[in-house]
Amino acid sequence: MTGPAILLLLAGLGAIAWVSARARALRLQTVARATGRRDAVHSLPGYHGWYVALWTLIPAAIFLIIWVNVAPGLVTQSVLADPAAQSLPLDGFSRSAILGEARAIASGNQAGAFNPLSQGLVEPYRAALDKYGIAGAVLALVLAFAGGAFAFTRIRPDFRARTRVERLVMASLLIASLIAIITTVGIVASLLWESFRFFSMVNPIDFLFGTKWSPQSAAMGYGNDDAFGAVPLFWGTIFIGAIIAMIVAIPLGLMSAIYLTQYASPTVRKWMKPTLEMLAGVPTVVYGYFAALTIAPALRDFAVAIGIHGASSESALAAGLVMGVMIIPFVSSMADDSIAAVPQSMRDGSLAMGATTSETIRKVLIPAALPGVVGGVLLAVSRAIGETMIVVMAAGLAANLTANPFASVTTVTTQIVQLLTGDQEFDSAKTLAAFALGLVLFIVTLLLNIVALRVVKKYREAYE
Amino acid sequence: MTEEQIKLAIENPKMSARDVKVFYGEKQAIKGVSIDVGMDHVTAFIGPSGCGKSTFLRTLNRMNDTVASARVEGEITLDGENIYAPSMDVVQLRARVGMVFQKPNPFPKSIYENIAYGPRIHGLAAGKADMDVIVEKSLRRAGLWDEVKDRLHDSGTALSGGQQQRLCIGRAIAVEPEVILMDEPCSALDPIATAKIEELIHELRGRYAIVIVTHNMQQAARVSQRTAFFHLGDLVEYGVTSDIFTNPRQERTKDYITGRYG
Amino acid sequence: MTAVRNPTDWKSEAMRKRIAGRYAAERRFKFAGLFAVVLSASFLAFLLVTMMGNGLRGFTRTEIALKVDFPASPLLLDPKAITDEALANANLPMVTGTVAKTVLGEKADDLLSPTAWISIRDAIKADPMILSRTATISVPASTGLDLAAKSKGSPEMEAEVARLKQQGILSTGFNMGFLTASDGTDPTQVGIWGAFKGSLLTMLVTLILSFPVGVATALYLEEYAAKNWWTDIIEVSINNLAAVPSIIFGLLGLSIFLNLAHLPRSAALVGGMTLALMTMPVIVIAGRNAIKSVPPSIRDAALGIGASPVQVVFQHVLPLALPGILTGTIIGMARALGETAPLLMIGMRAFIATPPGGITDPATVLPVQIFLWSDEVSKGFVEKTSAAIIVLLAFLLAMNGLAIYLRNKFETRW
Ligand SMILES: Nc1ncnc2c1ncn2[C@@H]1O[C@H](COP(=O)(O)OP(=O)(O)O)[C@@H](O)[C@H]1O
Ligand SMILES: [Mg+2]
Repeated sequence: MTGPAILLLLAGLGAIAWVSARARALRLQTVARATGRRDAVHSLPGYHGWYVALWTLIPAAIFLIIWVNVAPGLVTQSVLADPAAQSLPLDGFSRSAILGEARAIASGNQAGAFNPLSQGLVEPYRAALDKYGIAGAVLALVLAFAGGAFAFTRIRPDFRARTRVERLVMASLLIASLIAIITTVGIVASLLWESFRFFSMVNPIDFLFGTKWSPQSAAMGYGNDDAFGAVPLFWGTIFIGAIIAMIVAIPLGLMSAIYLTQYASPTVRKWMKPTLEMLAGVPTVVYGYFAALTIAPALRDFAVAIGIHGASSESALAAGLVMGVMIIPFVSSMADDSIAAVPQSMRDGSLAMGATTSETIRKVLIPAALPGVVGGVLLAVSRAIGETMIVVMAAGLAANLTANPFASVTTVTTQIVQLLTGDQEFDSAKTLAAFALGLVLFIVTLLLNIVALRVVKKYREAYE
Repeated sequence: MTEEQIKLAIENPKMSARDVKVFYGEKQAIKGVSIDVGMDHVTAFIGPSGCGKSTFLRTLNRMNDTVASARVEGEITLDGENIYAPSMDVVQLRARVGMVFQKPNPFPKSIYENIAYGPRIHGLAAGKADMDVIVEKSLRRAGLWDEVKDRLHDSGTALSGGQQQRLCIGRAIAVEPEVILMDEPCSALDPIATAKIEELIHELRGRYAIVIVTHNMQQAARVSQRTAFFHLGDLVEYGVTSDIFTNPRQERTKDYITGRYG
Repeated sequence: MTAVRNPTDWKSEAMRKRIAGRYAAERRFKFAGLFAVVLSASFLAFLLVTMMGNGLRGFTRTEIALKVDFPASPLLLDPKAITDEALANANLPMVTGTVAKTVLGEKADDLLSPTAWISIRDAIKADPMILSRTATISVPASTGLDLAAKSKGSPEMEAEVARLKQQGILSTGFNMGFLTASDGTDPTQVGIWGAFKGSLLTMLVTLILSFPVGVATALYLEEYAAKNWWTDIIEVSINNLAAVPSIIFGLLGLSIFLNLAHLPRSAALVGGMTLALMTMPVIVIAGRNAIKSVPPSIRDAALGIGASPVQVVFQHVLPLALPGILTGTIIGMARALGETAPLLMIGMRAFIATPPGGITDPATVLPVQIFLWSDEVSKGFVEKTSAAIIVLLAFLLAMNGLAIYLRNKFETRW
């Protein structure tokens, strides 16, 4: 019996349970109401319907989830018990390859066998799959019936079905909210675990302070020493995300926010604000392509024309410029908020002294809004250093420690992508290094965010 | 202009308004007000809230320019010069006609920098020493010097409410204005701080033409020599303060000062 | 304290000059602001124009009307026995090449797309009787000729274009194949359907997972959660997740979903799950704001007539907050639709020549397809990449437009 069929069947059972329980409750309650006692009836019939339906579905669903996870093991066991399995090779890899092939054929995902051994196992596999498939389906249906019947017998006019259903609703809301925590824990745990394994192969000091990055040589068997010095990556990340991108984004974002909030007519503001925000909505892969296709070659030609050495067709400047443009809306919306949070009375006070608008902005509004703006810039930096596609497509792979913006540099995110795509061997230092880089990135962005939010919060409080 | 108002027209007015109307979009907030403000008096604007006192006060230094929907008609002169004429420079005007707001609004800068703000932007100080002199003089005149002279570099926002308001007065004084407009300067202050400000207004009188908006009639009686009563955008009555309070000519004025509405 | 007043001489020459300077600074500052806005906006315009300029060509293709004299061709096929197998054994690519040489001259190989034989095969399949006569069949031109026909090619190819035009057998038209085909090896043959379907499946998984969980979390935090350290932890987690770089989610997907749970690589299922974790915080934050903006008076009114807290929330608060939640959801989904990096981590960069049939089949998505094509050296891929970008941007624009429409339509001032 196939999975979708069972689910459909269960859903049908649930619906039947709902309808019949509701009808029964309605009938009983009509009778009970006739007695005239005010507490004779507790919940609306619909709640009885839900109560029984949930009792029908939830135990069966829990069983199925468990079953889906244990059944493959049981199937394999019974196949191995088959005489045809005696001729299987003992070493794990080819053994599991043959078993996998037999399973694929048996479940219809593959037409023919490459390995003659697996052909012989197809029949036992098919039998075992059928056996356990039917067993699981029957058990699930029995559970559904049992749960539904149990709940059905509890229907009474004054049964507190609503309270129970609501308790379940509350529980599921609580469980849903736990997913955020589980995800966070999952991120931290997986990064820590894989990094831990990496650092058992590579000295953390070498990783954090080494200046030579060539994981390729480590993969080729030259050893892990001297291959995982991540300083060039850190520098490239900072150079592009925190320096070049910010040199573009801070003035443009700040001045745009100032112009749109302080000078522009409402019509201009109404149209230009969403237009600028579109810059943040363009997918990063589009920026990356644009940087690689249009900006980078133009910059290289320019650099060559003015005689700069080491100009490359992939450059820190191309990636940084485009990333800066992408960040403009972040900076401008944070600046917008911060300036708007400065009380109007400050502006009035300055204008009443005879200051011009720009003097008011430069000498009163910006200084007053500075913490908020700084917080916004920190958030923008955290966003920029975590950005991946632009740098993957436009910054290059050369781990250079250079301050020449026309040269190619590489970043943490670029290297994560580089290390984890293509042929991977799990457990190799090269693959695990990606997680160590991810851990560093995670910690740094987290710290930046915490600091930024602190700063912004303090600043907001100052004007409350 | 009514008869009484013409009688009150001042020989050599510092500022005078003739048939001033103010609109916020479609809505008219001031309906044709004519008044003279003299150098030698403190002039009080009283009236129920929403009657247009602040609106009218803000026309006197063109702060209404900062409200996009506001439109001013009529003529207002400063020393005979129309302040709404194209030749009038608003930066200069606001330096000459200073303003103190209802809620103290010191800048989030040091006390020193708050006072120095105006002289700096207008380029009134010849150097650091000169600025020091201006700051001290302004703080003395604002009656704040003795309280803050040891902590000039603390933030202005760390002062008490009354001190903040005197700081704002000192900030306005620092550019040597000719007129000072005060919009309910004491309404956010406690009685002791209020008394200090009133005392200060007494001392400043004669040096500057002072216009003060207040909803507190005792305060108007205490600090002003001329009082104008506004109602629903009209200037109902304008006269010598003691006359207005003891012998109002208009029914509406009487009703207001005897507390029948407002 | 001096009693003598020395009023500022506002009329003095120096003061007038100074004020003029201040006004000049004011104008400069204002201009700088305007400049910043215009520069930012023109960057956006530049980007869009570049993509349009390159990409619109990607929706068209050049075809050659090839006159095939079947009886004279070396093709050995029985019109009455046209099966897939027979066609596969007929060596159509070679036959096509030979025919093309007789019609177009020695350089025919450079003029026809390597996939031109597919058009001939399809023509035979559609009507086997053409095998007994001479038929004119439209076949795709090579990338070089295609580019030249769109005046972006080499001089030699431009000359060929002129020659073929003279013969009247060259035409450029809408390339339906771009919307219905999947990835391929030759730019004349590729399409976005496979990637598009992958995106669709991935978004479906993302929506099904993130929407209920996001709304439930938002409801829990806004309506029920007590103010304690546990709630604080949930809130901090959500805010952090919203700020975590997307690539970190890719690492999570790789190490938990693939390496630990052994879910299928490259599949829409895992892609959707990974993106759901990213989208969920966006929905929670938007949902909380929407729920917050439902005035307490409505809750009080419902509670007052004896509704239980759960009834209040599900019957009154949630319907009123729904437009806001949907707006946030659409914006979150739009972001997920444009996301590339985490999907690279879980292997959704495979070469997908057949569209995925289900959420566990190997798949790719539009942004990843763009990334993959951007790496191709063949010049013909430039316009295909840009054309795919146009499709992606059109979808994002439509989604954001829908979000704005929803927000405006249901925006209520309480
Ligand atoms: N910025 C504004 N836009 C529109 N109407 C305003 C504005 N400021 C004040 N008003 C209106 O103008 C009238 C006068 O207000 P105001 O001058 O503040 O009165 P007062 O200071 O006497 O209390 C009121 O009806 C008020 O609502
Ligand atoms: Mg007022």
